[in-house]
Amino acid sequence: MGKPRIFALVAMASVGLAACGSSTTGTAPSKPDKVQIAAEGPFTGDEASIGAGALRGIRLAVKDFNNSGGVHGTQVTLVPWDDQHNSQTATTFQAQGISDPTILGIVGPMNSSQVLATEPGLQSASPPLPFVTESASAIKVTEGGYTVAHRVNARDDKQAALDGQFMIDKGAKKIAILDSGTDYSRPLADAVETYLKAHASTIQTKRDVATNGQTNFTTVVTNMKAFGADWVFFADEGSETASLVQQMKQAQLNIGANINFLGTDGEDDSSIITKSQGAYLGAYASNVTADPLSVSTAASFVAGYKAEYGANSISDAGPFYGSAYAATQVLLQAIANAPVNNGKISRKDVLSHLGSDTFNTILGPIKYDSKGDVTNVTIGIFQAQGTIAAPTMVAVKSLSG
Amino acid sequence: MDYFLQNFPQQLVNGLEAGSLYALIALGYTLVYGILEMLNFAHGDVFMVGGFLGAGVAVLFVHNGVASIPPALIVALMVLAAMGGSGLLGVGIERIAYRPLRNANRLAPLITAIGVSLLLESVVQVQISPAPVLVPSNSLTPQIVFQVGNIATPFMGATLFVAAILLMVGLDLFVFRTRFGSAMRATAQDREAATFMGIDVDRVIVVTFLIGSALAGVGGILFGLRFSTVNFFMGYLLGIKAFTAAVIGGIGNLRGAMVGGLLLGVLESMGGGFISSQYQDTFAFLALILVLLVRPQGLFGQPLTDRA
Repeated sequence: MGKPRIFALVAMASVGLAACGSSTTGTAPSKPDKVQIAAEGPFTGDEASIGAGALRGIRLAVKDFNNSGGVHGTQVTLVPWDDQHNSQTATTFQAQGISDPTILGIVGPMNSSQVLATEPGLQSASPPLPFVTESASAIKVTEGGYTVAHRVNARDDKQAALDGQFMIDKGAKKIAILDSGTDYSRPLADAVETYLKAHASTIQTKRDVATNGQTNFTTVVTNMKAFGADWVFFADEGSETASLVQQMKQAQLNIGANINFLGTDGEDDSSIITKSQGAYLGAYASNVTADPLSVSTAASFVAGYKAEYGANSISDAGPFYGSAYAATQVLLQAIANAPVNNGKISRKDVLSHLGSDTFNTILGPIKYDSKGDVTNVTIGIFQAQGTIAAPTMVAVKSLSG
Repeated sequence: MDYFLQNFPQQLVNGLEAGSLYALIALGYTLVYGILEMLNFAHGDVFMVGGFLGAGVAVLFVHNGVASIPPALIVALMVLAAMGGSGLLGVGIERIAYRPLRNANRLAPLITAIGVSLLLESVVQVQISPAPVLVPSNSLTPQIVFQVGNIATPFMGATLFVAAILLMVGLDLFVFRTRFGSAMRATAQDREAATFMGIDVDRVIVVTFLIGSALAGVGGILFGLRFSTVNFFMGYLLGIKAFTAAVIGGIGNLRGAMVGGLLLGVLESMGGGFISSQYQDTFAFLALILVLLVRPQGLFGQPLTDRA
């Protein structure tokens, strides 16, 4: 080995030591080469009305984050995965994401069915691919022991208690409990039925199924009428609701007059008023996330959303535009907190920071428990009001804790 | 027992309404099978396209307020657009996708039909709307409910049933009482002999596709006005059920398709109402299995050919 080579090695070692020294003394971390996150949900298809608004929220969060400097100066690229509420499509995207190490996390999937279909694969990837869902509320999502699972919304057990107690407080006597047969819908309907039996044994219930994708509900409505229901509880992602309530009206079951209706988060959607040609007016729907309009820390987000998408954009934003923004904030902050090594950020480090850090979001600070659940989250019940031309969902009850 | 007696009439009405739609679509399957002995699995999607064509006209005139046209005229335009568009689509599919395979292995047109079905769904999903489209039925049809005792049915439910029956009877008369109907039956019986007798077989086949597809188009309109929505995947399950109805009735037999459709609707409604709504779709296929086990040729047993 000649002298020039020895000098070169000494010089490289000096640079290396200098680099180590700088990282321990708090100077700016190095810039990652490329940072990508995916957004997964039903952005088209039968549940586009909830997915499209969420995607707008995610896009805005990425834009705001990039405007404030991105990840140590690197702009984040958003990759939308439109699973169309289809588990097979979701699995295809999952494989694509796992094979690309620059995709550091997923905002979504939105539907519990798609989360449950993909989380084993996301967990077994090397390194695992973490996700932060803005809306998947099935209890099983965070009970399967998958460390990749995180959500910013409440779970079904909390929602079921709110829903059940709401109907009890409103004096319900006979409740037709419907589910749509999905991984999200059925456990939630079960949980509400269990809550009602435990807390109001005099209330009669009757279970029925309004299958996902079905359009003709005349048989179910006839069953409802024969039972003499004064309340309908329908755990659904929202795509069947407009047809169901219209057919209830045609069978002379008028919401707010001779029957009441309580839906769940997918039905906290003012577009159902338009799609049902007004039959949904007066109906209630619970949501597993807070309404950004009633959260003081989300005021600037709401203003930004209107500025970005139009003054009337909130009315068709769906129920998850705020939680989608918050979920994106969580994932991006975890990525920004992860170390950069040789221009790369590891998913393993992102996952570690998701588990340990506290995140500032428009819906308040978020810190995860060991399962990936948020302990302190506000949920609420909303009512369909306004007109067919100007529909709106108005908050009537909220529950924090 | 009281529960059953009290609700049986309403579930029967529900079943007849659903069944009349199955029957209307089943006619297209059975007509084509009767003439060509091929299963046109794209037929359910022709029904879907008819629904979208009608919805397009409705949206144009109602939502966009192009002109203050009487609702009845808008509905008439919807029917014209759906019948014409679906009819021409059916003819086009036959000309492009099926005719070149007329003498091929029987599997070839079957696979092609599935391909055409997927193509139609994809085109509508990508080019028109991936989300369900609202059909403004409240602005187009009377919002009245017919009530007799405990039985209630909305105007469009009754209209669906009556329109389907009239169309089915009209088709039956056309096939069995007209000169062209005789040509259709002759073609169904023996295509080669019909050619020797001077029948333009290609023309018969084209008209068969035109009629079957136009009926599916009307079905699409009736579906849209009854349920106030159309979507790109609506032809899939309804198409399979209509095909099941045709097989139950005896595929190739027009009257069998009608009865099969109505029977299927009633079975589903009764099963969903008195056994479990969770298995409502299953009853159709359970009925199919039972009928095929007991009477493999279907309830009416004779194909169109034997009735000529």
